[in-house]
Amino acid sequence: MGKTLFEKLWASHIVVEKQDAPSLIYVDRHLVHEVTSPQAFDGLRINNRKVRRPDLTIATMDHNVPTNDRSLPILDQTSAIQIQTLEKNCKDFGIKLFDINSPNQGIVHVIGPQLGITLPGSTIVCGDSHTSTHGAFGALAFGIGTSDVEHVLASQTLWLEKPKSFEIRVEGKRKNPHAVTAKDIVLSIIKNIGTGGGTGTVIEYCGEGITDLSMEQRMTICNMSIEAGARAGLVAPDEKTFDYLRGREYTPKNYESLVDSWRDELKTDGDAKFEKQFILHIDDIVPQVSWGTNPGMTCDVTELVPSPDEFSKGDLNQKKGAQKALDYMDLKPGTPIVDIQIDRVFIGSCTNARLEDLIEASKVIRGQKVSSTVKAMVVPGSQMVKKQAEDIGLDKIFIDANFEWREAGCSMCLGMNPDILSPGERCASTSNRNFEGRQGTGGRTHLVSPVMAAAAAIKGHFVDVREWDLN
Amino acid sequence: MKGNIIKYAQDNIDTDVIIPGEYLKIHDYAELATHAMEGLDPDFHSKVKEGDFILSGKNFGCGSSREHAPIALSHSGINAVLALSFARIFYRNSVDGAFLLPIEIDEDTYDGISEGDEIDIDISTNEIKNITKNQTYKMKPFSDIIEKIISAGGIFKYNPDQN
Repeated sequence: MGKTLFEKLWASHIVVEKQDAPSLIYVDRHLVHEVTSPQAFDGLRINNRKVRRPDLTIATMDHNVPTNDRSLPILDQTSAIQIQTLEKNCKDFGIKLFDINSPNQGIVHVIGPQLGITLPGSTIVCGDSHTSTHGAFGALAFGIGTSDVEHVLASQTLWLEKPKSFEIRVEGKRKNPHAVTAKDIVLSIIKNIGTGGGTGTVIEYCGEGITDLSMEQRMTICNMSIEAGARAGLVAPDEKTFDYLRGREYTPKNYESLVDSWRDELKTDGDAKFEKQFILHIDDIVPQVSWGTNPGMTCDVTELVPSPDEFSKGDLNQKKGAQKALDYMDLKPGTPIVDIQIDRVFIGSCTNARLEDLIEASKVIRGQKVSSTVKAMVVPGSQMVKKQAEDIGLDKIFIDANFEWREAGCSMCLGMNPDILSPGERCASTSNRNFEGRQGTGGRTHLVSPVMAAAAAIKGHFVDVREWDLN
Repeated sequence: MKGNIIKYAQDNIDTDVIIPGEYLKIHDYAELATHAMEGLDPDFHSKVKEGDFILSGKNFGCGSSREHAPIALSHSGINAVLALSFARIFYRNSVDGAFLLPIEIDEDTYDGISEGDEIDIDISTNEIKNITKNQTYKMKPFSDIIEKIISAGGIFKYNPDQN
């Protein structure tokens, strides 16, 4: 019987395999950031260990860096210490660091692909759950905790139990691909399979609805695999993948010969069997807006906020969860989504802060102004994205519309840097999690695509962006 | 392993409410513990006692890979979380770092145990005794591998040739 892409990636990285035991898996790339690494480096020092492969380890600072003027000192002392600690750890252990002043600094899941560090067929880990993003290139990429970060630093390997394989086939074509985006596809998937629907699996996304997407759009899909509980998400590499990585700063010198082997090997065999399958038809999907406090609590922009009974379909805990979410979000069942007024707009995060995201959002706002009731910001995913955007004049379009134009970082995705919501504020956000307090204590998050966020910024409430001319 | 139950009768308790992002900068585990569960239950720190257990629904620990989540619970005194199911990174972090035991239970056990009940967990027999109600339930056994990592005391101490 044939093998799935995941099974091939797994098999090609086994160092030790035994019956009824986890396998020791080799790690090709280890990405490090300031928040989940300090204790791991402490552990190395205590045990007098070195970093096994500093040449395969790359670090940057993204989670708690301020996104305002980089020439200003970092006011939050604990953030400043965490950033200085990463600098010291990288220096002591010989790890390449893209620091706060580097032109390559940015969200770790944005810079990996941009620099050609993320490669098809490789294994990539990072102390961050959105490492699944890199799976868009046909890499087996997943988030790990700090104990595992230490284990990888020390050994370049990880003990793992083999996850199950899950095929998500996306069939059909979007009618309006500028208004209905990759974000809407992945939110639709999570809405259908639930936040635990992918638990214990590696998802392979396939079908016309996926191969049609650009690399940046595929990254948005794989990024949110973890929101369905999956370890990782994968897309088989194709010519778009190979073209994207060609000629980047860290793309290997023997790239073309690597591409030749990837082209043959990195795909699921026709007779391979997945342990789980889900099919999403996208011909008729519409822009999605989350209304609750996890990404599965999402509906069409044309719908009404559901009642707990409608949402739960008889499950008591689901019903209680929905009621609690509605209370937290201060929403009443039956309210049209387009009637929900917003206070803030955040275009950013490892989900949706790449160049294409900013180009698409700029088409929505060109020549318009942000509603007087809304405060809106754009935080490019990396300093490279920022520069590319500025080179084509996007900064001017956003600034003219009264968006703030920031430096790169995780920013308002996760409330651990100065960019946070105030209690009670309601935000249209292109990020990945709408958990209680995620964007700041008491903050209310609605997950949407960049074009939906941009349109909401202009109108002051959600709108169906399909009604706008985005060509 | 005896202790009292703190019950959160809901699904999808995420790592952002277990330890909100703003506290991930804290390096000291004891200080981190003072903010455990703050996003969901601001009274948690004042009511939790050494040896207590958390009981909750499906997909406990979903979201971020922050190991700060099991660390904050563990340093608050929590020795085990009993849940209908777990998000995998939380489960793995709990076991690999030997912070706490993630114990999967069935619906009857979930319904049977109430806030404040004193229970006794025996992982050698997979039995959970409810001392308060004089009832006994079965936990879902750990897989062989997880059991070995737990008995070794975490992933660093686990050696497949010895354990």
